[in-house]
Parts: sequence; C-alpha cells; structure tokens
Amino acid sequence: MSAVAFETVVSAALAEASRRRLRRGTKAVVWAAAAVAVLWFTAAQIGLNPAALARGVPFMADFISRMFPPDLAHLRLLGGATIETVQIAVWGTLIAVVLSLPLALLGARNTTPHPLVFHATRLFLNALRAINELVFALIFVAAVGLGPFAGVLAIALHATGMLAKFCAEEIEGVDRGPVEAMQATGAGRLQVILFAMIPQALPAFVSYSIYRFDVSIRAATILGLVGAGGLGFSLIKTMKLFKYHETATCILVIFLLVFVSDWICAKVRARIL
Amino acid sequence: MNAPVAPVVQSTAPMISVRGLSKTYAGASVPALNNVSIDVAAGEFLVILGPSGAGKSTLLRCINRLVDPSAGQVFHNGVEITGRSRDLRAVRRRFGMVFQQFNLVKRLSVLTNVLSGRLGYRSVWRSLAYSFPEADKRIAIECLARVNMDHKAFQRADTLSGGEQQRVAIARALAQEPQVILADEPVASLDPKIARQVLGYLRQVARELGITVLCNLHQVEYAREFAERVVGMSRGSVVFEGPSAALTDEVLHRIYYRDPAEAPAEDE
Repeated sequence: MSAVAFETVVSAALAEASRRRLRRGTKAVVWAAAAVAVLWFTAAQIGLNPAALARGVPFMADFISRMFPPDLAHLRLLGGATIETVQIAVWGTLIAVVLSLPLALLGARNTTPHPLVFHATRLFLNALRAINELVFALIFVAAVGLGPFAGVLAIALHATGMLAKFCAEEIEGVDRGPVEAMQATGAGRLQVILFAMIPQALPAFVSYSIYRFDVSIRAATILGLVGAGGLGFSLIKTMKLFKYHETATCILVIFLLVFVSDWICAKVRARIL
Repeated sequence: MNAPVAPVVQSTAPMISVRGLSKTYAGASVPALNNVSIDVAAGEFLVILGPSGAGKSTLLRCINRLVDPSAGQVFHNGVEITGRSRDLRAVRRRFGMVFQQFNLVKRLSVLTNVLSGRLGYRSVWRSLAYSFPEADKRIAIECLARVNMDHKAFQRADTLSGGEQQRVAIARALAQEPQVILADEPVASLDPKIARQVLGYLRQVARELGITVLCNLHQVEYAREFAERVVGMSRGSVVFEGPSAALTDEVLHRIYYRDPAEAPAEDE
C-alpha cells in the first residue's frame, strides 16, 4: 500500500469517527431537552413546591419536639412486638423460598414444560409483585383475622413474586455448556435441571433470598398499621393515642432492627458469595 | 501382553456408519453439513480435521442427537439411531462426549461431575436426592484413576486447571461406559504441552477399554500425531479420507482453502 493511499484510508476513518461523534452528541442533546420538558410538566402536575416545604418546617419541628425524649420505659412493652416482627419476616421469607423454586422452573423459558405454562406463570408472578405487602395484608386480615399470620401470608406472597422471577431469570442465564454435557450423558430433563442448572443458579438465589429477608423485615415493621402483627401495631396505636414519646421509642426500635438485620444479612451474603 | 478385548459385536457392521447426513440450521442459507457419509470401525481413533465452521461439531452432535439432522441416517452397530426418539436416553448413554470448554458444573465436586455420567442409567427419583448407588461411585473413582485425577475427587471443579478439567470431563464420559467417545475440539482451549497430555490420555483410555473415538481437531500437528485415520472436512463436506501420513500439502490446501478465492491474499 502506498503512503498516499494509506493516508487516504486513515483520514477517511478519522472523518467518519468525528461524524459519528457529532451524531451521538446531537441525539443526546435532543433526548436531554425532552426529558427536562417532561419533568418540568410533571413537577407542576404533582405540586412540587419548595415554599410549602419551607412553611411546613415549624410544624415538623413541633411534632418532633413532642416526641422527645423517647419514653424508654415503653421499650419493655415492645420486646414481644419486635420478636413477632422478626418471626413474620422469617416465616414469610421461608414460605416464599419454598414456593419460588418450583415456580421459577415453570417460569423460565429453558425449563418450562410448555410456553403456555411459562406465560401463565410469569403473569401470576407479575400479579404477586404488583400488589404491595400492605394491600395483601388488608386482604388476609379480612380472610384469616387480625394478627401475625395475615402478615406472614402477605409477605410470603409478595416475596414469592419477587424471588421466583429473579430465580427464573437466573435459570435462563445459566451456561449452556454443562447443560449440553448433561444431555449428552443420556440424562433426562429433570436430571439435567438438577445437575446442570440448579447448581449454577443456586448461589445467586440464596444470596437474593437473604436480601429478600432483609426487605421482609422492613415490610414486617409496618404491617401492623393494618392489623397484621408486629411493631407497626404499637406504632399506630401510640400515635392514635397521642403518646408521641412512645411513638418515638417505636421508631427507634424499628431503626435498630432494620440496622441490625441489614448488617447481619450483608455479613451472611458476603460469606456465601 | 494381549490387547484388551473389545466389546463383542455380532454383525460385521462398522461401529458408526453415517449416510448422507445433512443439516441446515433454522435461518441459515448454507447447510452446516452437506451429504456427509463416513464409516468408523470399532476401536478406531478417528480425527475429523477442518477449519472452524467446517461442520465438524454439527457432525458429532448429529450422532448423539444433540442436533437433529435435516436428512440422512446414522447407524450404530448396524442399527439406525437417527429416527428413534423414544429411547434417545439409551442411545446417548452409549456415546460419551468431551467438549472444547470442558463443560463441567463448576460448583460441584469433581466426583459429582463424574457421577453425572451415570445419570443416563439412573431414575429421576433417585437423582432428586443427588444420591448414587455404591457401584456408580466405584465406577466414577475408577474412571478418575484412569486419567490420574482420583486425588482431586473431592475438590470443586472450578479449582482445577484447564487440562485437569478436561481430564475430569474425559472421566465423566468414561463413566457412561460408552462404546464411542465424541470429542469436540477437546484441546482447542489448552496450551500445546497440556493439549498433547490430554490427547494422550484420551488415546490411552480408548485403547485400554476398546472405545472408538471420533475427535474433532483444527490443528494439523495433533492430527498427524494422534490419528489412526483422518477425515478432512471443509464447508460441510468431506474432502479427504485417509491415514494421517497422507496429509500432504495439497490435501491440507483442499481442507483449509477449498476455494481459490479463500486463499490468503498475497501481501507484498
């Protein structure tokens, strides 16, 4: 290749590179302008108003001052509710883990027995995920009565939707190689799933289950608002009775519980991965 | 010393006979495999040589039906196995397979990986408990010993080097007690020294146990060194068949640059 021809090839590629960069830049500016316009409009619609927030500060300060100091004597009465909160989270998550493994296998493209089953399962899981724990709790309080059992069911259903979908996607992402190797040994469908797919998907599933337990603890702290057991009931009760010092204690306990559970879950997940 | 006795075969039919095998993948315009016919004798170490994309993998996968051929037949000991879907598991059991990427389940132990070669013989219900009979464990450990990997039986597969993983993969194939091993580029991801070692193990255990081997390779040197017979493939067709000594430059040119237009450009 002659020096002139070489120079032509190189400068043509350089010119193309700067053309592409300009095109990308123009595109980015247009999208950014559109995003700003939409956000501006939305802010007006939902009444984002910093002035209102500033005007509210004294009321918030008043509310908080009424909570101080937290009534630490009330701690004695919160022990049972705290344990109940943890129990709700443990059982809710456990039931979700057990339910979500088979549901994940039905709802993963590469393990489902039939495309119709796949779509039905995913639809069902989306429904579980769409409904908040509090809404489920309202339903189950009506069904099985006030108390922690309704809370367990609420957490179990919502967490099942989350866990099963996550696990299904993990199964869909497994390395095809070992799967093919298992098929080549003459293993049946279920054996291939057991020996090639589940071992690959399990670590992520376990890790996410632990994360889910942490989320369930947080959810369990407010289920009491609708009568489904746990600390939330003390929270709403003390508030309705205007015993704000006790409310403060409840919030303190919830904070501590979430903090400790987050810390433990992070430790356990680090150990497993 | 007498040669090990090969499994008794009633008929004089070849171990594997491929007739007019073709495969066109969905959405592809060119067939991956185009009217391929080969015979493989019992106990033979056959190397299928060719560049990437020649159809070597597809040929092996059509034999154990990981891929369904579009046309043609495969006979095993004179019995057609192409169209039979009911006893697919029994067919696959007789063909051990070794892969370029080893394809071990990384998080399972070496022993469990080899034991999975016994799955074709075992019921789903037993597998649900991840449990194998004592006899299977004996087979698995014997197979590991044949490739000198028994000392790592309880390690996780992902703690092994590439060459070690491939030896475990060979042990897994042996655990099937197969009549044939299909090796798909078994050394393409290994450095030359380890590659020779792995091919050496493959040839040795195949001889000891009277197993027929079909081994895909793209490196000519290994074919010359290990093959008893070579089938050369190019763009889905067989373009050469003969002893490895007959791999002349002319033959290699036919295998690797079939079309003059594909020959490397003459640079200054």
